[in-house]
Amino acid sequence: MTKKRTGVFVCHCGTNIAATVDVAKVAHEMAGEDTVAFTQEYVYMCSEPGQESVVQAIKDNKLDSVVVTCCSPNLHEKTFRDNAQRAGINNFTCEIANIREQCSWVHKDKNKGTEKAIKISRSVVRRVNRNKPMEAIAVPVTRRAMVIGGGIAGIQAALDIANAGVEVILVEKQATIGGRMLQLSETFPTLDCSQCVLSPKMVEVKRHPKVKLMTYSEVQEVTGSVGNFQVKVHKKPTFVDPDKCKICDDCTVVCPVVVPNEYELNLTSRRAIYIPYAQSIPASYTLDEEACLGLNPIVCGKCKDVCEADAINYDMLPETVTEDVGAIVVATGFDLYDQENMPELGGGKIEDVLDGLQFERLCSASGATQGHILRPSDHKEPKNVVFIQCVGSRDPAKHCAYCSKICCMYTAKHAQLYKHHVPDGRAYVFYIDIRSGGKGYEEFVQRTMEDNDTLYLRGRVSRLYRHNGKVRVLGTDTLSGQNVEIDADMVVLALAMVPSKGTTEIAQVLKIGRDKDGFLAEAHPKLKPVESVTAGIYLAGAAQAPKDIPETVAQAGAAAAKVIALLSQATLSRSPLIAKVRPSHCTGCGMCVDACPFIAIRLENGKAVVNEALCEGCGSCSATCLRAAIDVKNVTQLQIHEMIEACLAV
Amino acid sequence: MINIQDIRDTARDMLAKGEVRAVIGYRRGSRGMLAEPAFITSPEQADELVWDPTCFHNLSLYLVEDRKFLAHLKKNSDAPIAVVAKGCDARSIVVLLQEHYFKREDVYIIGVSCEGSGVVDERKLAPLLNGFQASNAVFAGDDFVFTTAQGEKRLPAREVMADRCLECRIPFPKEHNVVFGEDKTGRELAAPFAALTRFEAQGAGERWNFWSHHFDRCIRCFACRSVCPMCYCDECVVDSITFPVTPATTAEEKANRIRWIERSATRSENITYLMTRAMHLAGRCTDCGECERACPVNVPIRLLNNKMEREAREKFGFEPGASIGGPSLVASFLDSDPGDFIR
Repeated sequence: MTKKRTGVFVCHCGTNIAATVDVAKVAHEMAGEDTVAFTQEYVYMCSEPGQESVVQAIKDNKLDSVVVTCCSPNLHEKTFRDNAQRAGINNFTCEIANIREQCSWVHKDKNKGTEKAIKISRSVVRRVNRNKPMEAIAVPVTRRAMVIGGGIAGIQAALDIANAGVEVILVEKQATIGGRMLQLSETFPTLDCSQCVLSPKMVEVKRHPKVKLMTYSEVQEVTGSVGNFQVKVHKKPTFVDPDKCKICDDCTVVCPVVVPNEYELNLTSRRAIYIPYAQSIPASYTLDEEACLGLNPIVCGKCKDVCEADAINYDMLPETVTEDVGAIVVATGFDLYDQENMPELGGGKIEDVLDGLQFERLCSASGATQGHILRPSDHKEPKNVVFIQCVGSRDPAKHCAYCSKICCMYTAKHAQLYKHHVPDGRAYVFYIDIRSGGKGYEEFVQRTMEDNDTLYLRGRVSRLYRHNGKVRVLGTDTLSGQNVEIDADMVVLALAMVPSKGTTEIAQVLKIGRDKDGFLAEAHPKLKPVESVTAGIYLAGAAQAPKDIPETVAQAGAAAAKVIALLSQATLSRSPLIAKVRPSHCTGCGMCVDACPFIAIRLENGKAVVNEALCEGCGSCSATCLRAAIDVKNVTQLQIHEMIEACLAV
Repeated sequence: MINIQDIRDTARDMLAKGEVRAVIGYRRGSRGMLAEPAFITSPEQADELVWDPTCFHNLSLYLVEDRKFLAHLKKNSDAPIAVVAKGCDARSIVVLLQEHYFKREDVYIIGVSCEGSGVVDERKLAPLLNGFQASNAVFAGDDFVFTTAQGEKRLPAREVMADRCLECRIPFPKEHNVVFGEDKTGRELAAPFAALTRFEAQGAGERWNFWSHHFDRCIRCFACRSVCPMCYCDECVVDSITFPVTPATTAEEKANRIRWIERSATRSENITYLMTRAMHLAGRCTDCGECERACPVNVPIRLLNNKMEREAREKFGFEPGASIGGPSLVASFLDSDPGDFIR
């Protein structure tokens, strides 16, 4: 092996590195390495002149490999690899030594910091010494996308992708698309009808020639990687043919089974055969397999007897279809924090204590009370209503530490809606503070207070209980310093937003990360807010963090743009730094097969074989192999060994 | 109580019918009371087989040797090999099967239950025989009976039994084709991991002194590795001496073999060797105790392996060799795995 000619470029990063590391000394030490032919330090290596100097130095000194000692490779690895290529050498002969995040930022002592920076840099110089030139692997792209979750986020993302001419599969777990937004009555800050603004989009997504709608379906398994995912979707039987169904409602009339209606948040009941809402898409009935008196054997059969369109088919079977897609958008939405977690507020067991979504259904013209606000216990108009904000939110000790972001606004909206329906009623709002950042939001809250005569009380509620047919609210007004006792006809809790149950499940299926609160984790909090940590999987809506409708729509659009950009490429270039088996050392024990999170390794004739299209080069196999029989290219055992030696200065 | 005639009949019968190409069992050693591994290939030899408290060898080692030998000859196994296996030995075989080292049909497991006693520890026995050598040892209920020049000596089994047998949780070969003896699982003579618990009760300083002493004394003869059925790798990652050269080995690979440790038997190198071995046995070691028995300088190797075994058991509910289809410890991940020790 001829001796390498490595160039080492040490960055000051202003004072980010230079304050804690003697960069001149690092450069000097590196110059003493056997394979180093050139060293240079510069104040900002990533600046245009800095980059030019790297390119020039490679050309002038006939360098064949490059080490840039600077910040994390997450930031500038690509920059400098591109520079290496511009200078005419292979980009995979360029490596980054991270002396900022892993050294200067976390140390104070300049001598020790310098010593560590030298060790880090030297180890990378030794590593690069054995780097092999590589060519990126080109993989064809499947020009189709899947959107998981049919709420406003999913609908918007699907429409945006489809309008770019890319085929989309929209998968929804429930019997209709529309999600949470379809349950809302009016939306802040304009008080326009939620269903009225959403239903045109629902119709559009249903009719769009590029959209394949799969309702009552769940994603079961995902394999493959960016550009080429294989998604197994389980389609539950609805037992009703949507093409034949005429929505005449004859079947529900005869159905003898009554169960709580989850679409109305259990405020009303539905039959075993039902349609969620009048605006449901697909506009068809669904037979609830769990509730139906018996599909097998058929003991009832009343609905089928009465159906003139002959749309009901008890023999419908679940289907599992596999779809090939290049990118996935996850928009699985939110649930409300469970009231059972709030025993001091009744734990969901006190009558006339509702959650925000139930109140939406009370206000909604399509809801149980046709838009009249009547309290559930006696169907009378409530004259005193208490709204409580931050229920379960902003309570790190017992509940959710985060702010659910939309409750200030929707509580103000609820108070206004209530006052519009019951002008002689009294609305109270308990709040901690009002967070109304957003276009027209602050003015909206002011209107609630001033024009709609709502009494805002700054404080928490300590207890709720039934008292003389009313709900007694014990709270504090911290501004006047007095305890407050209100006998309310109805109480509405602004419960915290939590990731939906489906979000938790889909994160496991897709193997994408979640944050400490269970929301889907974005790849970078600032620069990659719609990307998941897995390439090719994007996030939209409240599954990623609490957010309101405009933000959700914006994020869905952003996710769609990412998908379109990804799928507009003919081939994807994949990193060639993937696992490679040394067959002579492989004993076929299969531990790497188990360890591989990407299902990229299989056993063939008693030896491990790597699927190059699936391997992400994570190195789990290499770490698991007891025999050093599997290596990641350019991060081989030998390279790691020599890096450790360099760090130990032997 | 196992009747040795049953084992002999099984072996004779299978060899006569040609169902197996060999039976690996125990026979009387050439000197003294100790049994030695026996490789029986004809029915007439079956009467040589014995079963007594000195049958401590883990015979699954020879299944590994057989596979290596066949690989060398570029031959496939044409008939299974039968092997006499105690509880721990059978679990070793299960681990080897999990790792696809050979196929289930390549081995016929003649299980023997230790019936809650176990095998003898020579080092415990020696001081109890007044300087005389024993020429024979037999099971006798809760006792072992040894024959010396002074006559018969009856000793309670628990006084001369190997520590690992005292601590054994499952002295019964669950995986077997045929099994002799009663399943007396649950008859623990000492709490599991008792020796480890006693050791860990000491302070860090004492423990370091203890290990420094032992790591200094290791002569790196690699007897522990040679006797271990799990140490079947052609190349031991810590040791460039065993670097296998095949026609596929490139000149670069030969030149660049990694030397994680130096050849000198110094403390730092010995630590690296023994610690790496313990790590590589995590989830695979079935505590057959052969490494510690084979050690010529009495390094308490079992303590290291026990530590890994206990961690796996407590953190992940993992039992090495519990079932053939089960997950492996270090290569499998569940969302429910505890993460509290990652800081």
